[in-house]
Amino acid sequence: MSCHDVKMDDHVLEKTNKILLMGNPNVGKSIFFTKLTGIHAMSSNYAGTTVTFTEGRFTIGDKAYTLIDVPGTYSMNPTSEAEAVALRFMESGASAIICVLNASSLERNLTLAMEITKYNIPVIYTLNMMDVAKRHGVHINIKQLEHDLGAPVIETVAVKGRGLDELVNKLEVLLGDVEEGCYKKCHRCEGCPWTAAKEINNRVSTRNNPTPSFLDRLGDSMLKPFPGLPIALLILAILVIVVAFGGRGLRVPLIMLTDNLIIPFFRRIFEGIFAFFVSDGGQLSYNFLYYDNGFQTGLRILVDGTFQTVAVGDYAAVTGFASMLLNILIGEYGIFVISFQWIIALIFPYVLAFYIAITFLEDSGYLPRVSVLFDNIMRKLGVQGGSLIHVFLALGCAVPAILGSRTATTKKERLMIVAIVCFTIPCISQIGALIALMSAFSWWMTPLMVLFAICLFIVVAFTAGKILKGKVDPLILEVPNLLIPEPKAYFRKLMARMKHFLRDAEFPMLIAVLISALLAGTGVIGIIAQNSAVQYVVSSWLGMPEEAVISLILGIVRREMSVAPLLLLNLTHLQAFVAGVVSLMYLPCLSVFGIVAKEFKIRVALTIFLGTIVSAIFVGGLINQIANLFI
Amino acid sequence: MTGIINLYEAGKNEAFYVVSIPNIGLLESLGLRLGTKVAIQTRYMLGGPVLLCVEDSFLVAIGKDIATQIAVKEVTA
Repeated sequence: MSCHDVKMDDHVLEKTNKILLMGNPNVGKSIFFTKLTGIHAMSSNYAGTTVTFTEGRFTIGDKAYTLIDVPGTYSMNPTSEAEAVALRFMESGASAIICVLNASSLERNLTLAMEITKYNIPVIYTLNMMDVAKRHGVHINIKQLEHDLGAPVIETVAVKGRGLDELVNKLEVLLGDVEEGCYKKCHRCEGCPWTAAKEINNRVSTRNNPTPSFLDRLGDSMLKPFPGLPIALLILAILVIVVAFGGRGLRVPLIMLTDNLIIPFFRRIFEGIFAFFVSDGGQLSYNFLYYDNGFQTGLRILVDGTFQTVAVGDYAAVTGFASMLLNILIGEYGIFVISFQWIIALIFPYVLAFYIAITFLEDSGYLPRVSVLFDNIMRKLGVQGGSLIHVFLALGCAVPAILGSRTATTKKERLMIVAIVCFTIPCISQIGALIALMSAFSWWMTPLMVLFAICLFIVVAFTAGKILKGKVDPLILEVPNLLIPEPKAYFRKLMARMKHFLRDAEFPMLIAVLISALLAGTGVIGIIAQNSAVQYVVSSWLGMPEEAVISLILGIVRREMSVAPLLLLNLTHLQAFVAGVVSLMYLPCLSVFGIVAKEFKIRVALTIFLGTIVSAIFVGGLINQIANLFI
Repeated sequence: MTGIINLYEAGKNEAFYVVSIPNIGLLESLGLRLGTKVAIQTRYMLGGPVLLCVEDSFLVAIGKDIATQIAVKEVTA
């Protein structure tokens, strides 16, 4: 296949003192990286979690190195964009390589090892997943392996931290030897890598066939249509229950946290600042008394977009201005109130519930099994089963899903994933907001929305398959062993994701709410809403109240913002459903636009930008118009 | 039963050697080459893939279109 241009910063390639973490996909490189540098790199139990590199500082003795978590590759002949990154790192040279081998499928891993040794860079090997290998009755003669590879080999179980100290010690020795110029090149590694790998494997490993463990049997059953398909449906049902009900349950404590702790904290800060600026002591107490009573009035003024009444009667102009500012910041619908209520009390609970479930599924190795089970049906839609992993990821956030699609072997397959993700898969933030909106009406609104989303998925996949040129390769996918996630690694990953969410969501949310406050406060929103074209689209075609235009504007910044402002409006069932449809199909957020523009041509990003907006408004309006014929 | 057949039609849970295989990079790097020992674990309906156990050690799913292009020969014990 052709190698697409992989965008990456070349400065990393030029760095000296690099240590590369290399190996087949899904051997645990990212876990080594996290343990050695303290920087969290995402890891999962399936091939292709790391599609771009992660770098981190790493000190051995008194020397600083840059440790690089290289995307996994099966060979030095890249078959995907992710694998091409690995090749570029190898060619850029390095001080040393930590080559991670999977002890439970040694021969194939040794093939890559043989290819790596040809680059004449000092290598240290780690024989990872020794626990799984032992479970499968594989015994490996480490001494013989060290002898055959001509390099140190360390037994490790990285998720449990076993063997890491020894790795660092041996690495220090190796780097020392290199410095003194007494590093010996491997002599056995000339010739055909496969033959060499086979010979070495035959010499060093013996296996007996123990009775398969419960996990192995469960892993195999999940792959058979029966009971695999019922199990898949059961897991899907559990996922839905965890997200919908777990999310709702988690909201209770988080609402308390926001309302009793976070918001009062900011209120005190802002009142403190204002007390400092606004006039003298005697006046002050009177002012605040006034604010407390006046919050709602002040705010309604802003939302309605009329400015005049803000002048606070007999107050000095400066006090009136301060009162208005305080309202914008921390009033009942103030920026700091709304943004925290929405992000922490509304969206975060669903995000947390979702990642509790999906992180478990990722680390267990279940997702590739779904891909294999449903490949036949997906294939009929023109999608490869392997793409389902990315679709699952997109339910969390579209950005990693689009990056993850780098493992696709054809351009069309990547574009199919991007089209499906952008047009049909809501991210969990948006799902949270949608559930909140829908469940405020009737219990059947959410299932109806889900049904619509599934139909949309089928239509979009089918259409994209027909329109896009090129071909989608048949499935070739390694199915990893089923594992029980290691608790520490699991919680670490969950924490990293939550931190990531709060960091990425709260600030744009503040900005979005600020924009909405400004648009409302300055009356711009009124002007936009009065525009006859906008009025036609929003009111006549979509049948929404005028104020809903703010959702369409903010929805561009972040997905949940296309829903959240609607929670404040009094909508009918139909309006809520139409709003849900528009939001679902509407442009994914600006970050997604950015990542699509970066990964593909700007033309692709613009097509998605316009395509999603037009189709969302068209389909939403169509539903409204048809429904109105019957109501 | 010494004939050469295509992998998709091979019997379930019987060991075969690969005797001819299309030139696809990913197959090769996954360890599917001439002489590799494979056994079909599951064959999915509706034109779905086959699930192979490769060299008794790991599982690989392969689409029907590719599986039909791989020729195998039964391992005679």
